[in-house]
Amino acid sequence: MLVRIPPALRSYTDGQDEVVLETTDVAAMLRALEASFPGIRDRVVDEAGRRRPYVNVFVNEELIRASLPESKLNPGDVVHILPSVAGG
Amino acid sequence: MARSIKKGSVVVAVGTKKGGFLFHSPDRKKWSVAGPFMEGGAVYHMILDPRDGRTVYASAPMGSEPWGPAIYRGRAEEEPKATQAFPKFKEGSDLSVSRIWHIEPGPSEAPDTIYAGAEPAALFRSDDRGDTWHDLGSLNYHPTRKEWQPGGGGLCLHSVLVDPRNARHLIVGISAVGAFETRDGGRSWTMENRGVRAEFLPNKYPEWGQCVHKLAWDASGDGSLFQQNHCGTYHRGPDGGEWTEVTKGLPSDFGFPIAVHPRQKHTAFVAPLVGAGNRVFPKGQMAVWKTTNRGKAWRRSTKGLPGPGAYLGVLREGMAVDEADPIGVYAGTNTGQLFASRDEGESWKMISDFLPPIFSVTTGIAQ
Repeated sequence: MLVRIPPALRSYTDGQDEVVLETTDVAAMLRALEASFPGIRDRVVDEAGRRRPYVNVFVNEELIRASLPESKLNPGDVVHILPSVAGG
Repeated sequence: MARSIKKGSVVVAVGTKKGGFLFHSPDRKKWSVAGPFMEGGAVYHMILDPRDGRTVYASAPMGSEPWGPAIYRGRAEEEPKATQAFPKFKEGSDLSVSRIWHIEPGPSEAPDTIYAGAEPAALFRSDDRGDTWHDLGSLNYHPTRKEWQPGGGGLCLHSVLVDPRNARHLIVGISAVGAFETRDGGRSWTMENRGVRAEFLPNKYPEWGQCVHKLAWDASGDGSLFQQNHCGTYHRGPDGGEWTEVTKGLPSDFGFPIAVHPRQKHTAFVAPLVGAGNRVFPKGQMAVWKTTNRGKAWRRSTKGLPGPGAYLGVLREGMAVDEADPIGVYAGTNTGQLFASRDEGESWKMISDFLPPIFSVTTGIAQ
């Protein structure tokens, strides 16, 4: 499984734009990312575990609309963490 | 833009909707500017640490808005970088920090200590310049918290005062909740709102629920305080207790910032607006009002300020003073102008225009 890292979060990954992981759900993926790149999990979900507003996670091309941590992942999936269209 | 800041220069740190700027001048006549820093991000607060005159701290979203809050730190001449950690509530609280509204340096004897005031309302302390943070639980999970309601500006903790005589004595202000005081370093807190009006509640003088807009120490150095509130301007004496309303003589009871003279006791500056329903200067004339007797009388200053026809305001962190002699007073508008007075508020000059809307103005001396 491949996780694509958005430019704003590459300061956590030493500039890496993608990370290869073997996990079966998003919660485990976030824990694995955090273990390798401390602080990155807090940028996707808040301290209560909720997805931050205007942060989208896609598996392949499908937006995860259900509870983020419980969403399942399969080998070969590509996970995209992206900011949604927002701002001012 | 000039980035080199001469030692001894007055520095005015300006946080805006789109980045932070450092205005600096050795004589307060000709100003240079460094920035924008944290370009494109909303810089809610930015300070030059008075304890070393070199370190800049700022609060802005990480990268851009969606990624959550961040504390930025760096030397004054450099682009500040986000610290790895930022203030967070404890696990299981079901609360999450959405913004940091205020950064306050700790006492001079603890140069690595800084405080952060957050939204939803909470106070955090770092003892290592922002690398790790402590959640001040007895305030953040106060028994009344479940009843706290956000005002129009959100449920934000925006004022953090550390007593220079006693670092364990702090006072904080929370919008639509009120002022809290601790004398034991944050283990226990008392509500300090007696005498303060809350016109938007059935009980006009409740124990808490008042909408404090900004708190500041009186330079008397004895613990006296000034407060600008949603419903009036107030002063509290050295022994604590009830606040005295000192709105009489001002054009309205509504404003956001309050800045105090660093040496002359009972002296403060406010910028009253029409009211809660119309947050612009009365009659389209920007004005700063000054008292030298803890609010018994106020004097209006408009020389060099825009109007008539100037329909703008100054936000809660938008006014500050420096420590030069005579002191400088600075006011940043929500339409992007920065005004400065070199004569203690008697006359003003615009030192920058066409900035993004200004959220915060603070001052320091570069070392």
